[in-house]
This record gives sequence, C-alpha cells and structure tokens, in this order.
Amino acid sequence: MNKTDASLQLKMPVAQYSISNRMNRFWAIIIYTTLIAWTIFSIGALLWIIFTSFKTNKELYAGVWALPKGLHFDNYVKAWSVVNLGRFFLNSIIVTTLAIFALTFLCTPAAYVLSRFNFKGRGFINNLIIGGMGVPYQLLLIPLYKIFIDIKLADNLFGLTLVYVVLSLPFTIYLLSGFIRSLPSELEQAALIDGCSEYGVFWKVIFPLAQPGIMAAAIFNFIFLWNEYMLALVFLPSSQNKTISLGLYSIQSAMQYTADWTGLFAAVVIVMMPTVIIYFILSEKVMTGITLGAVKG
Amino acid sequence: MLRTKKIIWFLVPAFILYLAFFIYPSIQSLYVSLHDWSGFAKDMDFIGLKNFKELLGDSLYWQSLRNTLVILFLGGAIIFIIAFLFTSFFTSGIKGKKFFRAVIFYPNVVAPIALATFWSFLYNPRFGLINGFFRLLHLDVLAKTWTGPDLIFWSVLIALIWTYVGFYLIILLSGAEKIPQDLYEVAKIEGANRFQTFFKVTVPLIWDVLVVGIVLWIIGAIKLFEFQFAFSGGTMVPQQIWTNAVYMFLVSFGKRTAIFRLGYGTAIAVTLLLLIIIFTGITRLITKRERIEY
Repeated sequence: MNKTDASLQLKMPVAQYSISNRMNRFWAIIIYTTLIAWTIFSIGALLWIIFTSFKTNKELYAGVWALPKGLHFDNYVKAWSVVNLGRFFLNSIIVTTLAIFALTFLCTPAAYVLSRFNFKGRGFINNLIIGGMGVPYQLLLIPLYKIFIDIKLADNLFGLTLVYVVLSLPFTIYLLSGFIRSLPSELEQAALIDGCSEYGVFWKVIFPLAQPGIMAAAIFNFIFLWNEYMLALVFLPSSQNKTISLGLYSIQSAMQYTADWTGLFAAVVIVMMPTVIIYFILSEKVMTGITLGAVKG
Repeated sequence: MLRTKKIIWFLVPAFILYLAFFIYPSIQSLYVSLHDWSGFAKDMDFIGLKNFKELLGDSLYWQSLRNTLVILFLGGAIIFIIAFLFTSFFTSGIKGKKFFRAVIFYPNVVAPIALATFWSFLYNPRFGLINGFFRLLHLDVLAKTWTGPDLIFWSVLIALIWTYVGFYLIILLSGAEKIPQDLYEVAKIEGANRFQTFFKVTVPLIWDVLVVGIVLWIIGAIKLFEFQFAFSGGTMVPQQIWTNAVYMFLVSFGKRTAIFRLGYGTAIAVTLLLLIIIFTGITRLITKRERIEY
C-alpha cells in the first residue's frame, strides 16, 4: 500500500508534466488571465479612441461606452482643415524624413569608422558620443536655443530638423556600431584584395550589409521624432510651422474653451495612426531596434 | 591594417555637428547656470552659485524633486516587477507570445501627447471611462476625483507604468530569449520550481541586460516630461505632478505665463544631469559587485 502510494506520488508530476505541456493548469490560468486583461484594456483603449472620434459630442455625453451611430467624418474634416492639422502633418513628414536621411548618411559612416578601425582617440570619441545618450535634453535646451537664434535657425522647420538630427546622433551611432560590429569582416577583406577603394568598401559592402540595422534605426528615429514635442515647443514658437504633435497639443490646450472631445480624439487618431500603422506592419523591426541598442553586439 | 587615414573623414561630419550642437551647448549650460538671464537681454549677469543656493530654499523645486524620485524608484520598481513577471510568463512556453508582446509594447510607439489625452479622458471625474465603469456596476463609492490634488500624481504614475512596462519587457526578454533551453530542462530535472528556476537561472543570466534596462530607466525617468506636461489638458500643469523636468520647462519657457528665468532653469537642468550621473554611477557600482559573485 505504502509502496504504491510512493510510486504514485513519484509518477504524478511526470504525468502532469506531459499532460499540460510543461505548465500546470493553475499557472496557465493566472498567466492567461493577466495577459488577456492587459490586452483587453490596451486594445480596448485604442478601439475606444477610434470609435469616439466618429461620434458627435452629443453622442459621447449620452453614453461614453456606446458605439457611434454612424461614421461621422466631420471631426476629421474639422481637425484636418480648420485646425490646420493637414499642414502640420506635412510639416512632420518633412522634418522626420529629412532627419532620417541625414542621420543615415551621417551615422552609418561614423559608426563604421568607430566599430572597424583602431586609431588614437577612438575610445575617447566613442565614449563622448555614447555619453550623449545619458544627457537630458533639458541641459542643452537653453544654450542651443540661443545658438539657433544667433544663426537664424530658430522658428524654422530646418532648424528643428537639425536639432532632431544632432540629438538623435548618439543613439543612432550606438545602434549602428553594434550592428556593424556583428557583421563578418571577410567580405571587406575580399573587396580590398579585389582592389576596391576604402570608400568603395563602405558603399559597396558595408552599406548594403548594414541595411537591417539602418532600417531599425530609421524606424526607431521615425517613431521618436514623430512623437516628439518638447523640442518642437521651444524651437517652433510660431503657429504656422507646427509639427503634428505640437498641433495636437494646441488643440488640447484649447479644449477648456471648446470642450470638443470628439474633435480632439479625431486629432489624436490622426497623430497616432502613422506610428501605429508602421508598428502594426513592422513590430518585430521596431523591437529589434530597441534591443539592438540595449544588448550590445 | 594600414587603411585608417582616409577613412577618418567618414567620421568628421557627424562628429563636428555633434561637437557644435551637442557638446558645446552642454558645456555652455554649466556657464549659463551661473547667470541671471531673461533671454531678451544680450548680457547675462554673473551671479555665481546663487541659482543653486536659491534651489536649496525653493519648495517647488523640492516638491518636484520628490515627485521625480517617487517616479524613479517606486514607479521603476513596479515597472520592473511587472516586466519580470511578464518575462517569466513569456519564457514558460505560452501560446500567442508574439501577439501579447506586441500589445504590451504598443503604448511606446504612440505620441505621449496622444496617450495623455486618452488618459485624461479616462480619469475625467464627470464623464470619464473609469467612473463611468464604476457607476455601471453601481459601485459609485469607487468613483473618485482621479485628477484632484490628492490622486492626480498616482493617476499619472499608473499611466506611466502602463506605458513603460512594455519597453522594459522587450529589453529583459531580449536577454531571456538567449538563454539556452537545456538549462531550463536541467533545472526541471533537478526539481527546481518556477520561482527557483526564475531566480537561479533566468535572472543571473540576463544580468547584463537588466543593468542596461535599469540605466535606461534612470535616464528616461529623470527627463520624463511630455506626458505630465500634456496631461492637464492645456491648463497650468498642476503642481502635484511637476517633476524636475517639468519645473525646469515652466521656469524657463512657462506656459500661460512665461517666466523666462533661463539661468535658473538651466541650473535645474544641471541638477537633472547630476541626478542621472549619481544614480547611474551607483547602479554601475552595485551591479558590478553582484556580477563577480556569479
């Protein structure tokens, strides 16, 4: 009797292990409940914002949980043209596109030099650039603003682009250095032996090979710069030149007078759609960008 | 290899821009912080350490420092505990891992101003979603003034936690996924339970990644600005949610009433940098000692 009991006890965990595929039922319930609750809230928030943006304010006050009665596009039309969000959208596209191109062609060569060559002062330059990731933007906000007034680039979209490029340099170089370091160097050697010039090696071998890293950096920078508004607030004080998140901010600031919640949510949807869509398509790439930076190659 | 001289030019454009518009203004800020300056006057008045002395007696500064530190430590602790919990979920072979991971991360790609707008509606005492939800369940007692002076800081903190858990989860996971599966098999055969496996296998093996995550959180939390600044919906940001970064901005550029105390604001910014240096330094010291033990 005792013997069989013991053997039963011994067998029990083994049996359970195979039945529930490495997870016992209790933990499975806890895990899935937590994850599903988190998901319902997070996805629910997104859907709720989208639904609400199609309502009228009357409908919203009548029931915040109710679905919209019809597709009410007025909020979008109003946000896009009356509040000028269309113009700000274009401004943001210009600024982020220019900044990403500049960053790619500035940082990829720099990262190549820093990750592949040994020269005097490399360690120092490397540390100086990586150290920039720890500097809060607030530190250089005021001196940089003064410089931009002096060189007449304040309140100018290109000025803001330059600010974005400079402040994104440390992270972009860091991310790309890590990526380039992980590339095999045999191809470079082969190209050199075949008589390729120094620059040729970079443009014909490294630049194409580094595409996944460059893409990850570009996506990461796009999301960050599209959403940024503290720097835009300082460097673009006039009302014509706003970027999209700054435009949303001014709509939100006017809310206490307009109380137009559904109009505000239409603006929220316009602002967040580009990054959310990119994330929807390329979520793995977005996350790789972050982990490439965090987990050194 | 004798190929360095020419290629150095690849570094020059980026480095010059960086020196001129990043390093130079950063160093200049130390100089500006020693001055009284409105930004309109051409000249700044040198006042030595007076700005920093004033900070010592400025109760608004201390209040915002307290908020910054609560977000940094309490918020950070909660974020990392939840991120660790999710990491342990995701490494135990659940289904739909990619989906859940993508969902938990997504607030990080949405503009903070958009998140702030959503959350301020969620918390809206009169017709917000939370109170509406409680009223629906006839739990009117639980319907509170979430954005009132008592609760607003905690309301913001919860929103921040929800936002940032995903970011640190991705970082921890990137380490945890590199752990070879057979180590877990061995732990199982040796009879380790869930907790033992997690603390004796996962945590030590993702230590480096964890340290990077903590350092990133310190830097990120101390300069956190955008969510709080937008949360109040365009009125003056309530003092209860000021952090040092918010206070710095208000002192410098103001909002309803611009103050333009640029010297004083820069002094606050210098203290932000000091906080980052001190806390990342401490983290590096502590974690270095720990790592040797393994």
